[in-house]
Amino acid sequence: MKKREIPFSENLGHGHLACAGCGAAVSMRLTLKALGEKTVMVLPASCWSIVPGSWPYSSFRIPVIHAGFVTGGATASGIRAALDVRGDRESVVAVWAGDGGTFDIGLQALSGAAERNEDFIYICNDNEGYMNTGTQRSSATPMFAWTTTTPVMQPKENPKKDIMAIMADHHIPYAATATIAYPEDLLRKIEKAKRIRGTRFIHLLSPCPPGWRIPSELTIKISRLAVRSRIFPLYEIENGISYTLQEESHIVPVKEYLKLQGRFSHLAESEIEVTQKNAEKAWKRLLKRAEV
Amino acid sequence: MGKQLTFKGASDMPMISISLGDMDWNKTGAWRAQRPFYEDRTPPCSVACPAGNDIVTFIQKITQGDVEGAWNVIKEENPFPGICGRVCFHPCESKCNRGNYDEPIAIHALERFVSDFAFNLNKKIEKIPGVRKGKVAIIGSGPAGMSCAYHLAKLHYEVTVFESSSASGGLLRSGIPSYRLPKDILDREISNIEALGVEIRTGIPLGENLAWDGLKDYQAIFIATGAHQNRRLDIPGEEGKSVFNGLDFLRKINLNQKVKLGEKIAIIGGGNTAIDVARSVIRLRKKAILLYRRSREEMPAFKDEIEEAMEEGVKIRYLVNPIRIQQKEGLKRLECLRMELGEKDESGRRSPVPISRSNFFIEADSVIIAAGEEIDVSFLPKGMEKREGIVLTQRDGSTGIKGVFAGGDLTSNQRTVAHAIGSGKKAALAIDCYLNGKDTEEAIHRILIGEGPSLSIFRHLHPEARPMNPHVVTFEELNMDYFEPSKRLRESKGPVKERVKGFGEVTSTFTEGFALEEAERCFSCGTCNECENCYVFCPDASILKTEDIFSHQVDYDFCKGCGICFSECPRGAISLREEER
Amino acid sequence: MKRVITGNQAVAYGVILSRVDVISAYPITPQTTIVEELSELIASGRLTTRFLKVESEHSAMAALIGASTGGVRCFTATSSHGLAYMHEMLHWASGARLPIVLVNVNRAIGAPWNIWSDQSDSLSQRDTGWIQLYCENNQEVLDTILQAYRIAESVKLPVMVVLDAYVLSHTSEPVEIPTMEEVDAFLPPYCPEYPIDTREPMAFSVITTPEYFLEFRYKIQKAMEQVPEVAKKVDDEFRSRFGRGYGSIERYGRRDAEILLMTSGTVASTSRIVIQKFIEKGVSVAGIKIKRFRPFPSKEIYEEIKGARKLAVIDRNLSAGVGGIFAQELRASLYSREERPQVFGFISGLGGRDITPELIEEAVQYTVEHPQPEEEILWLGLKK
Repeated sequence: MKKREIPFSENLGHGHLACAGCGAAVSMRLTLKALGEKTVMVLPASCWSIVPGSWPYSSFRIPVIHAGFVTGGATASGIRAALDVRGDRESVVAVWAGDGGTFDIGLQALSGAAERNEDFIYICNDNEGYMNTGTQRSSATPMFAWTTTTPVMQPKENPKKDIMAIMADHHIPYAATATIAYPEDLLRKIEKAKRIRGTRFIHLLSPCPPGWRIPSELTIKISRLAVRSRIFPLYEIENGISYTLQEESHIVPVKEYLKLQGRFSHLAESEIEVTQKNAEKAWKRLLKRAEV
Repeated sequence: MGKQLTFKGASDMPMISISLGDMDWNKTGAWRAQRPFYEDRTPPCSVACPAGNDIVTFIQKITQGDVEGAWNVIKEENPFPGICGRVCFHPCESKCNRGNYDEPIAIHALERFVSDFAFNLNKKIEKIPGVRKGKVAIIGSGPAGMSCAYHLAKLHYEVTVFESSSASGGLLRSGIPSYRLPKDILDREISNIEALGVEIRTGIPLGENLAWDGLKDYQAIFIATGAHQNRRLDIPGEEGKSVFNGLDFLRKINLNQKVKLGEKIAIIGGGNTAIDVARSVIRLRKKAILLYRRSREEMPAFKDEIEEAMEEGVKIRYLVNPIRIQQKEGLKRLECLRMELGEKDESGRRSPVPISRSNFFIEADSVIIAAGEEIDVSFLPKGMEKREGIVLTQRDGSTGIKGVFAGGDLTSNQRTVAHAIGSGKKAALAIDCYLNGKDTEEAIHRILIGEGPSLSIFRHLHPEARPMNPHVVTFEELNMDYFEPSKRLRESKGPVKERVKGFGEVTSTFTEGFALEEAERCFSCGTCNECENCYVFCPDASILKTEDIFSHQVDYDFCKGCGICFSECPRGAISLREEER
Repeated sequence: MKRVITGNQAVAYGVILSRVDVISAYPITPQTTIVEELSELIASGRLTTRFLKVESEHSAMAALIGASTGGVRCFTATSSHGLAYMHEMLHWASGARLPIVLVNVNRAIGAPWNIWSDQSDSLSQRDTGWIQLYCENNQEVLDTILQAYRIAESVKLPVMVVLDAYVLSHTSEPVEIPTMEEVDAFLPPYCPEYPIDTREPMAFSVITTPEYFLEFRYKIQKAMEQVPEVAKKVDDEFRSRFGRGYGSIERYGRRDAEILLMTSGTVASTSRIVIQKFIEKGVSVAGIKIKRFRPFPSKEIYEEIKGARKLAVIDRNLSAGVGGIFAQELRASLYSREERPQVFGFISGLGGRDITPELIEEAVQYTVEHPQPEEEILWLGLKK
């Protein structure tokens, strides 16, 4: 049996405050294994302002700079400039932002930095809502989902923002989707990103048990179903034009993915159908882009 | 690291809120409502194996490239993998969880591969060293007797096997033709047992050359004389010319003796013996027609055997029952009745009901009756009577006579090689307990595989290494996300035209590449094979491993009990229980 | 070397001489020529400073917070709406104790749009924990930037250097520009207290519970309390090296005057002429120029106004609902004192309305003639 190729050292210690079964904790742990020790990470406001612990403690084993909600792209630009001035071209500057700090309030700073092709790896830890503040909707929340600001009587009416398309149109050298059920894939993409200069973007889907209303043990399974249902396909975009779509051999209907999550439990058949159609349309769109 | 920091106040605090310590002091294990733990649970294949093989472990060894290790694992329970791999009806494969996904693992083929590979390593088998704990006599060198001899030798007993015929092996030699079990395979596996120090004395039947009190020097006796009598049909003409007995016919074939047959042979029966007879007839370049009184589904012979027989040209007629054998102008004439299927009988199969006035005739040059085997108790001591076709014993194989145990076909209606091997193993355990004043029932209970009845003698010798777990892993407890569908590999078979030219082996052993590929398909139900899913997916880095070693330990100081490891274990080797508070 | 340069050009010189490593800025009138000058110099290769041309002022300050945490000397410039946009980050910079220097060109904040001189923008940020230094001429602008880095890096608080829109930013004046060697001798390289180091990793700005937050804020106040002494030392050294010094406030005019006029920025410059005129007419008056607004120089002011009966303050700003901010801070600083002169709070010049010598005269005259102010707020030049 082939042994897994997961780097051994842990750059996130235990004792942290993430919920049991937190998808982001798995994401962060694996990401930090791939990024390695020579990483400086910017953490705009998100669950990760709290999870590592409060002063005087931190579970991180790399330098991290907690920053304002809006500021992921900007703070990282500054740190990169400082490290360059100090002659350090080896350390990687990374941003770990939530979907709020990427799709919504942080979009401007990210866009500005991407347009300048600032040299950092930006990881959007997407749990599809403002989970740290108690599960309010973001523009990354999928259509029809329940959140505290899109209650069941009036669930989210608009589809999820296509952040990858937005990043691609900035013509950054590298963008990729990834999720924890495919750990080797995530690691490969981060390692690939490390070897490139310029703005690199990873869209990382991390299921959130309390926010998605799922039992804590299903975090990985749901992450896998997101890919298999084509709701969150895995792919890479290079220089904004070159698409590499990853083959998925076990396609399942979106119903398999939706039915396990409490935040979708109120969905009518028609809404499930709409979700299925939208997923298929989005996939066709990707296929078309991959052809060009 | 791991300690809590305190500050008097502003005077000893740093200028800004930079971190000064880690969170190791925060034992998030206190959050847990449920606790994961590693426990080996029992795979269904081992439960189904009457010989008690540790199938998952030996297959794991193959995947690790350690075929010799696989051989050592098998040898703990079963001295005859080369034989079983060829002739066992592999109930393990019927219960294999992979069968619910795509196709079951070809376990028999892997067992055979390991045996053949190990033979080619030319490892010398050493006599068991040390002082012998006692002397045991075994009557019968068939699979039950030899299995008992093997395990008793490993338990440091001096064993003598008395065999009535001129060669050892019982039905393995006399009943199973070479195209299924080559004689050299049989010879080498028996000599492996002799090499341990077991003495086989052939040509000594009990009752004739060996009187019962000739055995009084032995502390215990195991009787496994098998079932070698051909069952009678009790129809007119059964004793006539050119009407033969199936077991005799096979014995002659297996001893390379000449058999006089006509051209067209009618064979009566539906079990493996009947099929073996039919296929042997084909190899003698005769025509074989098999008459069976029920339909194909009820035939007790192995499905593969039936298929191969038909490929080789055996004609099978179902729902036909001969009621009389007549002689007519040099030919045998069988008067037959057509049958239909009625209610299920005690074997669970629908019983044949004659259709009145459906008589018709089949002609043949010779007739071979192979409708079952029966035991002979004439040479057995008083207290071992035949009741409903078998000699009754206790669960542990003990008879009414002190120190005398029995097993194999003699004492059971489940007449397979694997059952015989299991029976011999159990008797060895029972004898060991008997001679040391231990409670056999208790000993047996501790070594059951799942809830039994198969036993693991490895467990008897190493109880901590593999604790008993009655929980048998079901398909629902596995996680199919980690497997891809793949076809079961098949051993290659010669073309039919070549096969029927003689008694050479029909199938070939897997190559190393095939064996590895097939072994990789094994789910490893209930047994951790260090895939490290749990380690990778733990949000709290609470599955411990060093750089090289996977420890199978959970860090309970930090484990929050989310259950991801339990859910993502592909093989159900992690269990959850409620956390006690 | 003496050159005739605008206030914005003086800023650019200050930045170059301070060997700033990272600039991050967003253009806004009337700051634009600062960043244009610096871009030109960087593009031509005469300056190796990195310039992050961010997409907003909020990002400009965020980028500098990153760069300063990364351990290098940083700079930005902005005005009005831009400063307001970075408000959140101004708090963050001082909370994180980062010695960033920001030049703010005083301009009114809308609505409605107005691009001319007004102190409301910088003064609206008075609670953000930044040191604030005001300038009355272009020489002072350049000199204050050099001093600002010394002060900031000593007390570990950010410093805002303020100059008037157009009156200084776009007006040329003769300025003595020191040499790089002279400045190097005065301003050593920046040495951060907690450098980012992957070999000794730390988390910065870790969330702090009520158990400790008070103490961190206490430390900031204590640092502010050190500023008067530190600033004085720096100013004295500057004076000895360059022959110019400014103090935190400056009193001019009659030593025995009982009527004082308090102003800041370019209004202080005009006031000197007006006060001189009154003295020539025989009126006993004096003027106080406020250079440092934050921390408010209560002690220094009190020393200078002992014996005064009346204090007129001209505020070129408005905190609606309360009045002029300098006046407000002054009143607060006098409250606990034994001697408390009458404070006449004048407001003028908002949105760039010219504060002419005539208007200032009006204020002084009013103060001389009235025993106390007749209104809370005295509007100068208001068209009723």
